[in-house]
Amino acid sequence: MDDLDREILYAVQDGIPLITEPFSAIATHLGLTPHEVVERLKRLREEKIIRKFGLFVRKSKVGVVANAMVVWSVPRERLRDVAEFFSEFEEVTHCYERRTTPKWRYNLYTMVHGRKRKTVQEFVEGLAKRAELEDYEILFSVREFVRRSTRLS
Amino acid sequence: MKTADRLDLTDRRLLEKAQNSFPLTVHPWRSIGKELGISEREVITRLNRLSKQGFIRKIGPALEAGQTDFRASTLVAMKVHEGRIQNVAKMIGEHRGVTHCYQREHEYNLWFTIAARNQAALKRTLEAIRHAAGVTKDEMLNLPSIRTFKIDVRFRLS
Repeated sequence: MDDLDREILYAVQDGIPLITEPFSAIATHLGLTPHEVVERLKRLREEKIIRKFGLFVRKSKVGVVANAMVVWSVPRERLRDVAEFFSEFEEVTHCYERRTTPKWRYNLYTMVHGRKRKTVQEFVEGLAKRAELEDYEILFSVREFVRRSTRLS
Repeated sequence: MKTADRLDLTDRRLLEKAQNSFPLTVHPWRSIGKELGISEREVITRLNRLSKQGFIRKIGPALEAGQTDFRASTLVAMKVHEGRIQNVAKMIGEHRGVTHCYQREHEYNLWFTIAARNQAALKRTLEAIRHAAGVTKDEMLNLPSIRTFKIDVRFRLS
């Protein structure tokens, strides 16, 4: 990532404008063509500096109101297989391995989203059964206080 | 649920298209319009309305956290007295590196993700937050990620 890439990311990180050529202003500012800006963004996406470029919906507005973080205690030797199995489901948007502590034995985390609490609960129970795991907890979210994008700096 | 009913079929297809396969081109709205069989103008008009109605959080990039200047990050859980949770959450949100903060149904009832320039800065910030929140070391969990298996946030709309 060079200085121009960074300038471009700064300019677009909070969103692009809804105008015919959304990349023209930043292109002019940097002495590039809009095409060059787009090519750089594509490269940043290929290099995985941009994880995704696109539209992000506000999930609560489209009916996705049952959101849970599920924490699982998975035997070390099964962790990878279980995580890959969970990741195949579209209801699972995130899947991470995290450090445990003496007070907290859970090592695998999944975010699960749905339209109804009961559906999410049943989905998770199904996952547990299929993965043959019994030690887990479902933490439904009650309130969202902060939700913002990762920023460049 | 009710709010989603205000979306017509074209709105839904438009949101899904821009969510799942955004065309990185000089004229992205034109490309999207072509695929959906509507004009560039209509795409812009609809997205403007959907944005005003609150359906859209952002149209732009999601950056890979480890690739930014905030290289150290973690997930934190705290046990906060119910009556103080709002104030504590507000204080947490004032830290720039915080990207998510949720109240959850659990004994550990406040959860947030936070990033900082390096481990030392992260540690300092967490201590500052812990003190300001008035929680003991025992009432706070620091749970950094070891491996990411999946991040793919998209929702079916049609």
